[in-house]
Amino acid sequence: MDSSMLLAGILNVLTWWNLLLIVGGTLLGMFVGAMPGLSATMALALLLPITFSMDPGAGLSMLASLYVGASYGGSIAAILLNTPGTPAAAATVLDGYPLSQQGKAGKALGISLFASFCGGLMSGIALLVAAPLLGILVLKFGPIELFAVAVLGITIIGSLSQGSVVSGLLSGGIGLLVSTVGMDLITGTPRMTFGHMNLFSGISFTVALIGLFSIPQALLLIEKSGLSVKRVANKITDRLLPKLKDIKGLMPNICRSGVIGIITGLIPGTGGDTASWFAYNEAKRFSKDKSRFGKGDVAGLAAPEAANNSVVGGSLIPTIALGIPGSSSTAILLGALMVHGILPGPNLLTEHGEVTYTLIWAVIVANFALLAVGLMFTRLCVSVTKVPDGFVACAIIVLCVVGSFAINNSFFDVGLMFAFGLFGYWMIKAGMSPAPMVVGLILGPVMETSFQQSMLIGGGTFMVFVQSPIALCLLLLAAFSVIQSTPLLGAVVSKFKKPA
Amino acid sequence: MKKLLLPASLSLLALTAAIPLSASAEYSVTDEVKVLQGFQAGGGSDALAQLAQPFLRDILGVNFVNEYIPGAAGAIAWTRLGNQSPKDGSVISITNTPMLMTNYIINDAINYNIDQLTPIANVVTDPGVIVVHPDSPYQTIEDLLQAAEENPGRITIGNSGVGGDDYFSTIMVENATGLKFEKVPFSGDGPSATAAMGGQIDASFNNVGIVYGHITADSLRPLAVFSEERLPMLPDTPTLKEVGYDVVNGSSRGYSAPAGIPDEARDELIAAFEELATNEEFLALAEERAFYIDIITGDDYMDMMKRMEETFIEIWENVEDDA
Repeated sequence: MDSSMLLAGILNVLTWWNLLLIVGGTLLGMFVGAMPGLSATMALALLLPITFSMDPGAGLSMLASLYVGASYGGSIAAILLNTPGTPAAAATVLDGYPLSQQGKAGKALGISLFASFCGGLMSGIALLVAAPLLGILVLKFGPIELFAVAVLGITIIGSLSQGSVVSGLLSGGIGLLVSTVGMDLITGTPRMTFGHMNLFSGISFTVALIGLFSIPQALLLIEKSGLSVKRVANKITDRLLPKLKDIKGLMPNICRSGVIGIITGLIPGTGGDTASWFAYNEAKRFSKDKSRFGKGDVAGLAAPEAANNSVVGGSLIPTIALGIPGSSSTAILLGALMVHGILPGPNLLTEHGEVTYTLIWAVIVANFALLAVGLMFTRLCVSVTKVPDGFVACAIIVLCVVGSFAINNSFFDVGLMFAFGLFGYWMIKAGMSPAPMVVGLILGPVMETSFQQSMLIGGGTFMVFVQSPIALCLLLLAAFSVIQSTPLLGAVVSKFKKPA
Repeated sequence: MKKLLLPASLSLLALTAAIPLSASAEYSVTDEVKVLQGFQAGGGSDALAQLAQPFLRDILGVNFVNEYIPGAAGAIAWTRLGNQSPKDGSVISITNTPMLMTNYIINDAINYNIDQLTPIANVVTDPGVIVVHPDSPYQTIEDLLQAAEENPGRITIGNSGVGGDDYFSTIMVENATGLKFEKVPFSGDGPSATAAMGGQIDASFNNVGIVYGHITADSLRPLAVFSEERLPMLPDTPTLKEVGYDVVNGSSRGYSAPAGIPDEARDELIAAFEELATNEEFLALAEERAFYIDIITGDDYMDMMKRMEETFIEIWENVEDDA
C-alpha cells in the first residue's frame, strides 16, 4: 500500500467544505433511506451529474456519505412504523418495532445507530487494509458457489417461523413462487406474466416488500385507532445513547454481524437485503434465549443493522480491488470514478490510488458523520410515535404509493403493491409471518439463476456442487442448519450426553 | 410533502447544473423535449444522455427532460414511444440496438416494431469482443474454435442475457462455423466478464467498453473483435472477418422519435446530431468517458435497424426450429 496515496486520500476528504458535503450527504441519505421505495441507488444516480463539476474529493465524499446514510436510514421507519424504508431493513422490523411498541423507541434507534456505525466502520477499515486480499475471494464466487449461498440463506426460513413451522414454510414457499414471475434468464420465456409486459422483468422486490409490511401495518393502525379513544402517547423517557453495559453485551454480536455483512457484500449478487437476514439468523443461533427474538430483543435489532451497514464497505471491495461493481449502488459509484478519468479495472488502487483512497476515506468519515447526525436527528424522529395512529396510517399509505411508483415510474407497480398489501394483511390475520416470504423473494431469483448457470457450466451434473470446496462447505452448513432445527439433533445429542 | 419532491427537484438541479445556458432557439416545434429511457437512471443509456444532451441543448436551444421507465429490457418505454406518444417531435427515446428489435422478435407479447419509429441518429456503438481468462489455454481465436470442434457443446461461453447482442453474436459465430457452444446467460455484461475473470466459463462474448479496463490490466485477454476493422485501442486483436467468418456485431445506442413526426422536426433533430459529430469538445469528452462514437443519422440509421431486424429474425427462427 502506497502511504503517500493513503495520505493524499484523507487530505482530499478532510476539508471544511467536504465535511459539510458529507453531513449533507448523510442527511439526504438518511431521508432517502427512511422513505419506503426511495433507494440509495436512485439518489446516487440523481446526485451523480451534480458531482461532475466538483473535484474528486468533494464529489466522492458526497456520494459515499449518501450511500452510508441510506443504509442506516431504512431502519428508522422500520423501528418506528413497522415499515422498512429499504429492503435491507426488512429484518430490522422483527425486533425493532416490538421495542418501539414497548415505549423503547429511543433505545432501539440508539442501538441501531450504534450498530450501524460499528458495522460501517468495520467494513471501512476492511476496505482500507484488506481490499486487494479480499478481492481475490470475490472471483472464487461463481454461479456454483452463489447457489450454495442461496441454499444456506433459504434455511433461514425455518428459523424465522415463529409459532407454526408449517405456516412459515408456506410463507417462504409463496415467496419463492412469486419470485419466479418474469422472463426466464436462460430461455427468455416469460413465465406467469399472463402476456402482461409490466411483469416481464419480474415483480420488483421492493414493491412486494412495501406492500407486505407497510399496508398491513397501516390497516392495523386504523383498526386500533377506532377502538381506543384514550390513547397513551408514547413517552420517550428512555435515553438515545445506549448504556455501556448494553454495548458490551452486544459487541460480539455486532462484530459477527459486521463480518457477515462484509462477506455478503463482497459476493457479487448478494447485498444488504441478504446480509441482514443472515446476521439475524446467526444472532438467534448464538443467543441463549431464542424465545425473546421477535418480541424486542436488542440482539435481533443490532445484528441486521450492523450487517446492512457493513455491506457498504464489503460491496465496494470488488469495485475497488477488481473494478467490478458488486451492486447497483456501487456501479454508480464506479461511474463517479469514471467521470474523473478512471476506467474500471483492477488498477484502481495502484494507478488511480489517490482518487480511490479518497473514496475509501470518504466512506470511513461518513460513518462518523452518521453517528453525529443520527444522534441529533433520531430524537426528532421518535416524535412520530406521538402522532395519533390514524394520521400515521394515512401517511404510511401515501408513502407507499409514492415509493412504489418511484421505483419504475409505473402505476402498475402501485396496484401490485396494494395487492401485496391486502395479501399481507390476510397473512397477519391468518397468523402467518411475512418474513419468510421476504427471504424467499430475495433469494429465489439468485438460487434459480445460479442453479441453471451451474447446470450449464457443469454439463448437467450435480457433481459440480461437490467439486467446489466453497460450495460443498456452504451446502453442508445448510444441511446442518436444517438438522439443527429439527428434533433429530436433540435426539442425537441427548444420546451422547446420557452416558456422561 | 415538500421533502418528497426532493429527488425530483434534484434531477432538475442536475439538468441545470450540467448544462450551460444557450440563447439561440433553433428547434421550431417545441421548447422542451422529453426523452424516454427504458432503463434505470445511472445505467449505460443514462450515461449517453448525460454525455450528449447538454450539447444537443446548446445546438437546438431546447431543454431535454429525462423520464425513466425501466422494465422488460426497455420494451415498456419503447411501446410507449411507438404507440402512445404525441407525434409532434416533443417526445424521443434512447433506442438500444439490437435490443430494440430482439425484444419483439423473441417475444410475441411485445407489440411495437421499428416501423412505428422515426430513427433519428445512432450515437455510440460498443463493438463485441471475445475475452478469456489471462491463463486460459486458448491463445488465439482458432484455439477456441478448435476446442469447440473437439468438444461439441462443452465449451462454455458467457453472454449478457438471452436476446442481448452477445447472445446473438454467439449464435452468429455458431452459424458461421458450424460449431456448437454451451451458451451461459448472465444478468448483464458485467457478471459475464466477472465469470471469465474467475475462470468459471471458458470465454465471455462481451463489449469492448465494458472490459477494456480489464484488458489493459491483464485480468482478461481478448481473442477477437466483432468489428469491420481492427480497433485502434486493440491493434493486436484480430477481427473475426480476418479469421474468415463474416460476423460483425455490437451494442449501439441512439435516438428515435415516433413515426409520423413533422418533417421539420425530423430534419432539425438530424441536423443537430450531424453537428454533434463534428463537435471537438463533445468528441473529446466522449473519448474521456470511453464511448465509441458512431454517428449514423436518418435513413442510414433506419437501414441499419432494418438490416439488423432481418438478420435477427432469421437467426431466431433457426433457434426456435432447433428447440
